[in-house]
Amino acid sequence: MTVRLAAACVRKLIAAAACDPKLWVLDGDLADSYAGTEFAEQWPERFVMAGIAEQNMVSMAAGMAACGLKPWVFSFAAFLAYRAADQIRVSLAQTRMPVALVGSHAGGCGGRNGKTHQCVGDLALFGALPGMHVWTPCDAADTAFATEAILRTARPSYLRAPREGCPDLPGAPGSLRWLSEPSSNIIVANGLAAHWALEVRDELARRGVAVSVLHVAQFVPIPSALAAVIAEARRWFVIEDHVRHGGLTDILAQATHQLPHAWFGWPAAWTGGSGDACGLRALCGLDATTIANSIMRAGHWDHVR
Amino acid sequence: MSAVISDERACAVRSSTARARVARRLTVEMIHRSGEGHYGGSLSPIDILAVLYESFVAPNGMDRVILSKGHGAPGYYGVLAERGMVALESLADYGRVGAALQGHPDMTTEPAIHFSTGSLGQGLSVGLGMALALRGRGRVWVILGDGECQEGQVWEAAMLAERLRLSNLIAIVDANKYQEWGFRHNCRATTPLRAAIEKWRAFGWHAAEVDGHDHDQLWSAFTQVSIGENGPAVLIANTIKGKGAALFESDPDRFHCTALTDEEYRTVLEELR
Repeated sequence: MTVRLAAACVRKLIAAAACDPKLWVLDGDLADSYAGTEFAEQWPERFVMAGIAEQNMVSMAAGMAACGLKPWVFSFAAFLAYRAADQIRVSLAQTRMPVALVGSHAGGCGGRNGKTHQCVGDLALFGALPGMHVWTPCDAADTAFATEAILRTARPSYLRAPREGCPDLPGAPGSLRWLSEPSSNIIVANGLAAHWALEVRDELARRGVAVSVLHVAQFVPIPSALAAVIAEARRWFVIEDHVRHGGLTDILAQATHQLPHAWFGWPAAWTGGSGDACGLRALCGLDATTIANSIMRAGHWDHVR
Repeated sequence: MSAVISDERACAVRSSTARARVARRLTVEMIHRSGEGHYGGSLSPIDILAVLYESFVAPNGMDRVILSKGHGAPGYYGVLAERGMVALESLADYGRVGAALQGHPDMTTEPAIHFSTGSLGQGLSVGLGMALALRGRGRVWVILGDGECQEGQVWEAAMLAERLRLSNLIAIVDANKYQEWGFRHNCRATTPLRAAIEKWRAFGWHAAEVDGHDHDQLWSAFTQVSIGENGPAVLIANTIKGKGAALFESDPDRFHCTALTDEEYRTVLEELR
């Protein structure tokens, strides 16, 4: 069974709202695409369909937070990051207002929606804003973990959620999470790309090469334990549902002063387009076979079978 | 009863008029000391702010004030300092590194500022969120510039405030009829926001015009909108850019943001004494 992670967040908030009367949800008229309707049914007096007006919605949430409320703002990632960037910068980050943004349909897999709805550079934006906490969960349990953390820390935060439904993954949710037995050859991934990484792990296993998959749920601040893991790795690779600039590879390079043996993500020059996830990934060289081929070469495993 | 109100009003108007005069002087001194700044847009909303803080917004009450046209900050600081809501000494550091009073209002450095502004068009939305949170408990007063109303976000907020019937949200447009450079030099418009009343009414707001320098009129208008029945209200306050000094009023283009010579400064201060 798969679940959209924005919907997993909503369900966590429905439960949290029972104990916290200050918790509100603001929606940019997309509630039916991420189960925001469920919150609206359960807590109608604390749900505002703010219209197709993301800039107003973000600043409005800041005003609510300044008066003691805890607003969660839902829209598609592209419309929060690009339409309301200045409002997020000025009204949330610079003022340190405890507003949580949930960007659904993030990343490069936007289905038929295509390029206007794809969002492959949001982490570069949010990661560069002062004091923002940024989360990139990979499944429902991870999303619940991130949602709880955001509720606890009361900081301006961004939770990134893909359009694709995500099945539950192995391992206990956390800022860092091994999705397979740890080893010295590691694929580091975040969000939807963790699922791609597991496909690549399986493909490599078929070729006689064993790698582990490490998921990074907290993008900013990056978990401090990561540096030691990377330092001890023999080979490490990054797969991300983002462009390289400002994404997981960049932030890991800053944290570890090292570069991965190979990196896989959306090409910076790609303007996006419609299609199913498999087709788009194949188009951009992000299918499991192509990535596995590159890892075999980068890891000097060419001699294996 | 009406005699009591009339006395209270006359007393308030006398007080706010005197305070506004002091605030104007503090504002000009502050900007000149810092080198240069927005003389015109700082002086045009001073009477609005003076009346607001005289009778309608208590220092530690529930009401909130947002100067959405954040470049008018020196005028705002002048009014707050005259009332003792910010330290007079802090005016000396205005705009300097680490100062409480930043070039644009910053709530993280000065607690008397209810919300940070500076990037135009965002204050009414913030006020809308505050009005929702404070419904039944407090009013939110948002001061917009007429040029600022060219930002689309203002009208996003206007639409939603009307839909939510937020009677405790009051916008005051400081309509000084000028903006930085563009519209007077590059198009045929005569004012940054044409048909302001009609526009706001079309968005479902209660809208009225007021002389933005007439304290008596401002007092009456604020009293009227404070009753807050059935939806948000806006006052189009007709003001003069650079109000209070003949030099500023005679050349609003130059005094949008500039420096004074020492001689000009002496002349202006003399007039404001």
